[in-house]
Amino acid sequence: MSTELSNLERYQEFVDSLELIDDEDMRFEYIIDIGKRANDDDFPEVFKVDANLMHGCMSKVWIADRIEDGRHYFSGFSDAIIVKGLVTMMIESFSGLTGDELQAITAEHVRHLNLGALTTQRQVGMMAMLEHFQKLDRRADESQAAE
Amino acid sequence: MSKILPLQDAGPGDNSLTAFDVEKVRADFPILAREVYGKPLVFLDNGASAQKPRAVIDCVREVYESYYANVHRGAHYLSQRSTDAFEEARVTVAKFLNAKTEDEVIFTSNVTEAINLVAATWGRKFLGEGDEVIITEMEHHANIVPWQLLREEKGIVLKIAPIRDNGEFVLEDFKACLTPRTKLVAITECSNVLGSRVPIKEVTRLSHDQGALVLVDGAQGIVHQPVDVQDLDCDFYAFTGHKLYGPSGIGALYGKWDVLNTMPPYQGGGDMIERVTFEKTTFKEPPYRFEAGTPPIVQAIGLGAAVNYVADLGMENISAHEHGILAYANERLKAIEGFKVVGDAPDKAAIISFLVEGLHPFDVATVLDRQGVAVRVGQHCAEPLMDRLGIEGTVRASFGLYNTREDVDALAGAIEKAKELLA
Repeated sequence: MSTELSNLERYQEFVDSLELIDDEDMRFEYIIDIGKRANDDDFPEVFKVDANLMHGCMSKVWIADRIEDGRHYFSGFSDAIIVKGLVTMMIESFSGLTGDELQAITAEHVRHLNLGALTTQRQVGMMAMLEHFQKLDRRADESQAAE
Repeated sequence: MSKILPLQDAGPGDNSLTAFDVEKVRADFPILAREVYGKPLVFLDNGASAQKPRAVIDCVREVYESYYANVHRGAHYLSQRSTDAFEEARVTVAKFLNAKTEDEVIFTSNVTEAINLVAATWGRKFLGEGDEVIITEMEHHANIVPWQLLREEKGIVLKIAPIRDNGEFVLEDFKACLTPRTKLVAITECSNVLGSRVPIKEVTRLSHDQGALVLVDGAQGIVHQPVDVQDLDCDFYAFTGHKLYGPSGIGALYGKWDVLNTMPPYQGGGDMIERVTFEKTTFKEPPYRFEAGTPPIVQAIGLGAAVNYVADLGMENISAHEHGILAYANERLKAIEGFKVVGDAPDKAAIISFLVEGLHPFDVATVLDRQGVAVRVGQHCAEPLMDRLGIEGTVRASFGLYNTREDVDALAGAIEKAKELLA
């Protein structure tokens, strides 16, 4: 059963912007710029706790999940600018989705965000972020069921 | 090997006064001609794994195309031919290390396996509760974790010899760690992160005075300088092929034969036995006692080719060339504003770990990669060293025999680019 995917406007904006840039180095710089422009105040120090830390990353990545009206709103931070750019793209792309919508996001969606500007390792990192989002959704479901 | 000319007149990284023709050497490595992201490849990740000369590539291809078969089962021509080449590689490695005999050379998959072998055989047999094993603060995880496992199992004491803040190993500090309970000193010859060198000969002398054996992790040492295990007098010396321009999946453990012969087998299986019955099995003598199952045949023969390649160039020449590159890199990189070298010991090999002020090492390495400059970033399998230095990681440029001043210039340019993009 396929889930109708809506609320992917921000994701589509990223894909469109990256598609317009036909030079790989420029796409790379675009990701750096997103990282540099990210507002660190959106992720206060109190969020930087082990419970929000994604494990297995070469740089530190924290992801927090807020659920409102059944929709996930992610925020995130990394101490490396390039990773922060990727984190920003991922959290902005996939915030506002329901759990079902989030679970329907695939590796293919993530691949569209890369467009060759990133090494395999970074792509794996982005996939790990998606899996992390989906894990947070399942965890929220489980804790709701337990209540 | 008589190609050594006086090197004292050569300027940093200037090969014109030596017989070491780096451009000729570079032509031996096909991969160096490629581009990445449309830019010439500048390969400075040799400490992780080095590229392969045509001599090694051709050798591996020749084995598979001409005479590949299993070894030590010589009922047919190909098997005999493979066995001869395999055992010849052992002789080549033994000569390269100046071992007394090829029977002192055990083929392993890498240094990690070699150290685990010593821990699991010699360590289990000869170490007991309260016995001390000394390592240093700058060991690779491969020379930490096997001893921790043994600590769990046998109750040994793991002592950590300190290094100075600049990454320098100081003999006096090490000496203070030695006690009559010290049974083994397991020590790197050269830090994979800092490049700091350890005076192994003196370490061995002091350790032997206390009755302790010495195991040298030569993974980074053997690629940068000549090694003579008889002169060092160490009891074990481990190195890996893939950092020495050879194939991956092959390394060697040298051990003094009398020591090896006291050790029980590492793994059980084919090739390491004399006679097997359901009641009792007897084992071969070293080195075969420690080589259970079909060995990495082609990799071992390829390692022989790699050793011949570097021996032909001359390790003294390679060392002198790299020393010149290191001196030039130090001068060039330290001039960059915000560049901070991590590990500045007076005696170091051609490895430079660094940070750039205000920038995350991961970001720097990623921008370097986009400029075609391959380096390693992170903790380099040396987390305790990072804790000791109070940092989370470094960017590491590790130089090899084919690197040039131009490579250093490209690195410097890429660091400036990283500063420009990330600031």
